[in-house]
Formats: sequence, C-alpha cells, structure tokens
Amino acid sequence: MLKLKNIEECFYPKTIEEAVEILKNSREPLRVVGGGLHLSVYPNPQIKGFIFLNNLGLNYIKEEEGNIKIGATVTINDAAKSDLIKGLFNGNLSSALSSIASELLRNQITFGGSVAQREPYSDIATILLALDADVVYFDGSEHTEKIDEFYKTDFRAKLKEAIIKEVRFKKFDSSYKFGMERHVRNATDIALLNMAMLAQIEENRIKDIIVSYGSRPMPAIRFKALEDFLKGKDLSEAVKEVYNFAKENADVKGDIRRDEQYRRELTGVFAKRLLESFGR
Amino acid sequence: MKVHYKINGKDYEFDIYPGKVLLDVLRENGFTEIKGNCYMGTCGACTVLINGTPKTSCTILAAQVNGAEITTVKGLGDILNPHPLQKAFVEKGAVQCGYCTPGTILAAYALLKENPNPTDEEIKKAIDGNLCRCTGYVQQVEAIKYAITLLKEGK
Repeated sequence: MLKLKNIEECFYPKTIEEAVEILKNSREPLRVVGGGLHLSVYPNPQIKGFIFLNNLGLNYIKEEEGNIKIGATVTINDAAKSDLIKGLFNGNLSSALSSIASELLRNQITFGGSVAQREPYSDIATILLALDADVVYFDGSEHTEKIDEFYKTDFRAKLKEAIIKEVRFKKFDSSYKFGMERHVRNATDIALLNMAMLAQIEENRIKDIIVSYGSRPMPAIRFKALEDFLKGKDLSEAVKEVYNFAKENADVKGDIRRDEQYRRELTGVFAKRLLESFGR
Repeated sequence: MKVHYKINGKDYEFDIYPGKVLLDVLRENGFTEIKGNCYMGTCGACTVLINGTPKTSCTILAAQVNGAEITTVKGLGDILNPHPLQKAFVEKGAVQCGYCTPGTILAAYALLKENPNPTDEEIKKAIDGNLCRCTGYVQQVEAIKYAITLLKEGK
C-alpha cells in the first residue's frame, strides 16, 4: 500500500545544525522523521521528502545539572526501560510510560515526535505537562521553553524551521509523587481520557501540585482550577473533595467515542485515584 | 533510491521508491512470511525485528531503516530446524490460521532475549500489540512458557 506518493528526496543529516539547514533551505515541503508513526498513519501527499533524525545522536537519557534529559529520538520503551527513569517516583513514571499503546508501538513512538505532533490523545504530552517539562528546540540557535508555554504559542509554525532536540524536567526529590491514569478498552486503543499528577506532599499536606489531562477529546492542558483548589489542602481532606470538584470543573466534551458526562466522571475518578495513591 | 539491509544474516540491496513502507518492500522482494493487514501499527501481523527490536514494518518507512539488520520469522528457524518458539507454537496448538503467528513469535523472541524468565504478565504485555482473532491468547502464552522450558533444556 503506497502511502506517500510524491517523495523525491531523503536526507540523512549527521548533526542537528545540518538538519535545520536542510529544513530551512528546502523549496519543497519536507517532513522531519523521528519514529515515523504519525507520518505513516496519516500520510500527507504534499510532502516531497524526508529528513531522518536517526544519526543526530539524540538517542540519550541522562541526568545533568539536576535535570533528566531525554533526547528527541528516544522511544517510549527506551525511556520506560531505562534504569534512570525506573528510579524516579518509585517506578511510577516508568509504569505510566509502559501503559501507553502496545509494546510494538512503544518501540517506535519518540518523545520528539509526540511533542511535535501534539495529538489530542497523546499520553506523552499529558505526562510532560505534569512534570513541568521544558522543550529544547534548535533553529540555528537553541531555545528552551516550558512545554505549557510552548503549546500556547504557534509551535507548528516554529517547527517549520526548527527541530526538537530534547525534553527535560527537574529531578524531583522524594517529597514529590507522580502518577498517571488513562482509560482504554485494549492495549492499542487511544485513551478516552488521560490524567497525570505531580504533587509535593509534606506532612500530609499538598504543598504544590500540577494536574494535566488530555484526550478530553481536545489536546492535553493543565487543569489549573483543580491545582488551585488542591494547593495547601490536607491530603485526606483533598481526597474527599476532589471527585466533585474535578467532575464539575473539568473542561471536557463529548465526541463519537464517549459523551461529555462520561468524561466528567472519569476526570473525577482519576483525580481521586491519583491523590489516594499519593497517600499510600 | 538504493537501500541496504542485512536480512536474516544475508546482505541485500534493493532499489526502492522512498515513500514505501518497509513491509511492502520486504514482501515485494520475496519475504512473504511477513504479513500485512492494518497498515496502522495496530495488529502486529507485520512485526519484524529491526536491529533486534520488534516493530511494525507497516509503519516504518523503508528508507528510514536503510542499513538496518532485519530479522523475519524465517530468520529464527525453518521447518527442518525450528526455533524452540516455533516448535512450541505448533505443539501447544497456538497456531490456527497462522496469520498473526510470525509477528507473535518475533515479539516473544525479543522478550526472551531481554528477559529469559518472564512472568505471565510480562509475556502478555510483550505480545499485547499482536492481535489474534482465532486461536486466542491462552495457547500462545502457554506456548511461550513451553518454549522457555525447551530453551532451558537446550532443545
């Protein structure tokens, strides 16, 4: 089955500088290819060529200056199975990553590709928002933006002349808890709703918290009203109250897959489950 | 454009159209043991090992993996000299129509390379992207556990 009918050129740059140069100077529409899943599932017939990122050396996961850095071509499984990621949040981040899609697709989906595509159902976007991650991209010079801010800008226009280099987030200490919930019917299904939470709990009180949710069915965003509601609360008290608040204040809609009321219920249930898990 | 692969230990050069996915290029060049179906990465029938990692060849561009080592189910063994996984799938009745079998065996092979003593849950997770619509999964999990025994006995 021929999916892309007008491909004339393939580029295999060796450095990110070279890749950006090719992207900027091309007269024809080119597609930057990390894992390539989105491209093959949603082929765009206007594309005339590919820039493959395989040889750019962006396949790293490392801890540097108090940050966890994940290169753009790292796959979900690379990250989920890395000892560095397994060692964070009692293994909860690794478990969350391992729950996304199927084993085969986790071997193909990359962090760079997920951030660049920002599919409404992306679990990676939800996770990175909760981790307050930075997106590092290169357009001739390097830029770092909080992913929340990056998505508020016209990031697709930026990426016409830039390539994502890495995502990174702070290495949080043990007072921070992380968790993710997603509702699917089977392994390869996309989530009907996903939610991730990062909370700093001290003496059973929520000192700081980030909540993000996606597949609403709109793209992932932070749930700021819920964050404000929970901040400073006693954890046990928050567990009792969170379901109703999250359900009533969620910015969700219905679509062909599930109606709005169902997503509201899920939002409340997920928020409660995540907070409960932080108390264990 | 020309691409080079090492497939099941042998070097190949193919002249391809760069918009094609790996599945089509391999099947057109005789590797029909790889099955095509969904072309969306959701069924796993087209699974091959690319540099040792199981991936769906229907969602990988042929040009993207230029220079890669590719293993198909025939690279593990053949009818005269089957791999313990192939033997186990036959003996435990884990094959009915057989369409999903090459992909499932390769996913299981990759699991056992990484983790020779997986739990039932780990086995199920490793083959969660390989859909089967006739045999079901009970016999497949049993077959993979039996293959572990065969591998330990060196059979």
